[in-house]
Amino acid sequence: MRERFASGFDPFVLPFLIGMIFVLGYCLFGIVRILFQLSREDRRRFLLSLVTPRTALKNIWDIFANCLLHVKLWKRNRMLGFMHSSIAFGWFMIILLGHIEVMIYCPERVRLLYYPIFFNYFVAENESTIGGAVLFFLMDFFLLLILTGITLAVIKRVRSRIFGMRRTTRPSALDRVGLYSLWAIFPLRLLAESFTAHISGGSFLTIPANWVFRQFLGNDLNMLPTWWAYSIVLGVFMVVLPFTRYMHIPAEMMLIPMRNAGLRIRHPRKGFAKVQVLSCPGCGVCIDACPMSVQKKNIKDCTVYLNRQIRRGNEKRIEEISDKCLLCGKCQAVCQVGVEGPKLRVAQRSARRYGLTPDYSGLDVSGLKEAARGGKVLYFSGCMTRLTPSIGKAVTSVLGKAGVDFVWMDRDSGLCCGRPLLTAGRIDAALGLIRKNEEIILSSGADTLLLSCPICYKIFTERYSLPGVRVVNYADYFNELIQQGRLKLSKSDICYVYHDPCELGRGCGIYDSPRRLLGQAAGIAEAPASREESICCGGSLGSLTLDFKDREAMTRKSLDNLYASRADAIATACPLCLATFSRYSERPVRDLAEILDSSSD
Amino acid sequence: MDSRNILIIGGGVAGMEAAKQLYRLGYRPVIVEQSDHLGGHVAGWFKLFPDMLSASDLISQMEEGLDGVDVYLKTRVASMNRLKDGFSVVLSNGTGLLCQAVLIASGFNLFDASRKEEYGYGVYDHVITNADLEQWFRTGADPRVPEEPSTIAFVHCVGSRDLKAGNPQCSKVCCMTAIKQAIEMKEKFPQAEVWCFYMDLRLFGKKYEDFYINAQRDYGVHFVRGRVSEVSEDIDGKVMLKAEDTLAGTQVKLKTDLLVLMAGMLCNEDTSSLAAMVRASVDSDGFLRSRDNIYRINESSRPGVFFAGACTGTKTVPETVAEARAAALDIHNYLSGND
Amino acid sequence: MIDFGFGLSRSSAVRLDEVDLSLYRKLEALEPGVRTCMACGSCTSTCTAGPWSGMSVRKVILNLQRGKNVSDMLQACMLCGKCTMVCPRGINTRHLILSLCRIYDEKK
Repeated sequence: MRERFASGFDPFVLPFLIGMIFVLGYCLFGIVRILFQLSREDRRRFLLSLVTPRTALKNIWDIFANCLLHVKLWKRNRMLGFMHSSIAFGWFMIILLGHIEVMIYCPERVRLLYYPIFFNYFVAENESTIGGAVLFFLMDFFLLLILTGITLAVIKRVRSRIFGMRRTTRPSALDRVGLYSLWAIFPLRLLAESFTAHISGGSFLTIPANWVFRQFLGNDLNMLPTWWAYSIVLGVFMVVLPFTRYMHIPAEMMLIPMRNAGLRIRHPRKGFAKVQVLSCPGCGVCIDACPMSVQKKNIKDCTVYLNRQIRRGNEKRIEEISDKCLLCGKCQAVCQVGVEGPKLRVAQRSARRYGLTPDYSGLDVSGLKEAARGGKVLYFSGCMTRLTPSIGKAVTSVLGKAGVDFVWMDRDSGLCCGRPLLTAGRIDAALGLIRKNEEIILSSGADTLLLSCPICYKIFTERYSLPGVRVVNYADYFNELIQQGRLKLSKSDICYVYHDPCELGRGCGIYDSPRRLLGQAAGIAEAPASREESICCGGSLGSLTLDFKDREAMTRKSLDNLYASRADAIATACPLCLATFSRYSERPVRDLAEILDSSSD
Repeated sequence: MDSRNILIIGGGVAGMEAAKQLYRLGYRPVIVEQSDHLGGHVAGWFKLFPDMLSASDLISQMEEGLDGVDVYLKTRVASMNRLKDGFSVVLSNGTGLLCQAVLIASGFNLFDASRKEEYGYGVYDHVITNADLEQWFRTGADPRVPEEPSTIAFVHCVGSRDLKAGNPQCSKVCCMTAIKQAIEMKEKFPQAEVWCFYMDLRLFGKKYEDFYINAQRDYGVHFVRGRVSEVSEDIDGKVMLKAEDTLAGTQVKLKTDLLVLMAGMLCNEDTSSLAAMVRASVDSDGFLRSRDNIYRINESSRPGVFFAGACTGTKTVPETVAEARAAALDIHNYLSGND
Repeated sequence: MIDFGFGLSRSSAVRLDEVDLSLYRKLEALEPGVRTCMACGSCTSTCTAGPWSGMSVRKVILNLQRGKNVSDMLQACMLCGKCTMVCPRGINTRHLILSLCRIYDEKK
């Protein structure tokens, strides 16, 4: 081993050095800024989680699995997973190996940022030593891995369908600069290392390449320009990085610990929201997933574009995108990074200024309190169920058959649960309604609150404080009744395909219980897209601006997915899905409660 | 080819009347009817406004005019192909036909009231449709109609003027039908209070306004301007409905023993496939598209294909009959080369 | 002048040609569906907030068209979405209400 230059410096490292210092400074500044944007409580929580061994270990593992290996992406599409993990993991290994080399051979240079990157220019090592042979082999191996990834990336640009993506985003001008410089980095590294391989050593890639080049480029004058070029593209990539989608690389490393610390979006643009926006890699998986993208005009209203517009500060588009969304949560379910598209939108909505604020303080609930008294179980059917009376009738019929001592608290009239206000971003107003409903329920003397509407169920479990009252979804509750032998079923011959309502499935994570119930009452089939991948019926209250006619296309898309199962009929567990599907469905649509009611005696 | 064959699709009043007239003009009309009886929806009705003529009398009278006309019941048109000067038709029973002209008289479908879920048709015990009520007038057998109702409510515009139900158009006959049925119910149950919930009362025909005046003056039928939005069921099985009295500006509730939904008229669901066979086109309202809606309402855009009755839009019985006669004459002129 | 205790009071009739439609016009721009209301009252009869407050989307639209104040009713709305579900003309009533609440902001 020998160092080729006593000074350990050459001007060609400058572009890299400038880029590196710039990007490190930028990120450091950004981290500090975001930390200050967090509320004091959140900041404490976050910093504490970093030193708590359990979360710290989880952070490290999550960063390794998601940022480097892209485990989630592998599950989605193997080609896509391989492409990303080969580039990310390969690059990481090259940097790591570079540092190991420096530490082994010239530990005194370890403080120089550029030394591990340009090690082969500055240090001549012979691959005949064991250390050299192993290290150089690994270096070439990972470089080859990256180059394969880059080749796939180039192919993906041209033909995204191979990677299971029908639609992908259009990169902005700066994104293109970042993209092309990223593509150029590794071929140039190969070139640079190949030119120096006969001096500094190499392995199975670089040595043969060196031999080929030396056949017609006899002198070493080509060496320096290629190292310059390599350094320049690295520099360019790092300088543009903060302004391109590649910012997701450092941002995701921040997002993961913040999520593990249990932070929530509290400001539409600052703090955790900012990290989420920056973490979006702009891959566009959410475009195909979005139920609205069945209409071409809505394609630019997916989460990836929301993030882009928030970065650009385009207020008009941010508002449009935020208000149109159905909040079905599918983008979040498929997102590789875990950007919370729906919550990000609700945060934008909540920042809006209104001249009029709802006021429910004068609402007299004494009559409702009276109506709610007298049962152990309180059944709250919710607003929407009043428009699908078959559900309310079936639920009460089943409860009657099982001999449950219950009261239907909003049989004649009731208040809204508050979820529609919450999703519209009118959080204080929603809390006003929540307090009123809490008052009614707590004064009723019941110990169980039964809900048949998942929209209500979600807010009751998340935002209500009802000490001593168990909040239960009807699917869970009916399963219990069957288990206790209070409900006798005779299985019907009809085969149903179960549609996961967004609020119950992705919203509350309840997938199995409705299926278990349905499986005992009738035959059951699965649609191609189900569970986390279920397609919104299009009727969601989440959207503020989608009009009735536009929703039809979404409903039909969702129905097509259900028809593909070849079931006789469609089952669902949400009054809004029921009403929406019934409008256009060619097959009968029924609620779980109706099916259970007709199968029980 | 027998130059006198004419295919008539649909054996309702339009098809029957056109067949009779064509037969008299010397043609050989062939009626193809998918149900097991002639007379279509009218055959299920009890009395017809404005003269309160018995529907069954009308149908049997019309049937008398069909002596000598070929009628295929429980039969559909399987395929139709245009030939150089006519059509080659295959029926679902295997019969092949060559005919010179085709008259589509496929009529309408009654809106399926269970699709307006909030009204609880098929869910609650005492909710019926206008057609169910006529059936009950004829047979007296329907467990949903109570023996001595003290309150009866009619809801207008069920599946009409309603984007959510997939039909933004007015069905035009239901207002008058509701008033007719309200009077009939009042005659049966003089003690009962009868309520009509309407959006607009569209009483455009001869003597219709008289019915309205009679219903108000002689029968004391109550009229509330407001669309019913919710229906629930009481513990004792009675129906509770909610509406807004838009003229008074207040929310109103009504507990009633019987709720009658005035289901609207949609184009027959088979019409679009029939239209596709002869390349006739469907209009934006879902009904068949006439050459124009003023002067050539019986004519399609294709030679030799004619329309009569409710397949081009909602119609009353007299309008349908008049149109059937006009269609017969149009076909006669077309086949005589008088066009 | 001697006050006889009666006299010609100002007519309570709304002068349609003098009505201030500025709010209504702003609403039209944000939610054009408002024009298609046929005042059937479905929204009002189904309204969750109605029994407590007299909230009525039909009245809100009509009052706006007559240049009257509607802020009291809007404050009772719970945005539950039933009116949007039942509207036979497919008007996005929730968006209509939210838009109006914002227009009031601009008025300040």
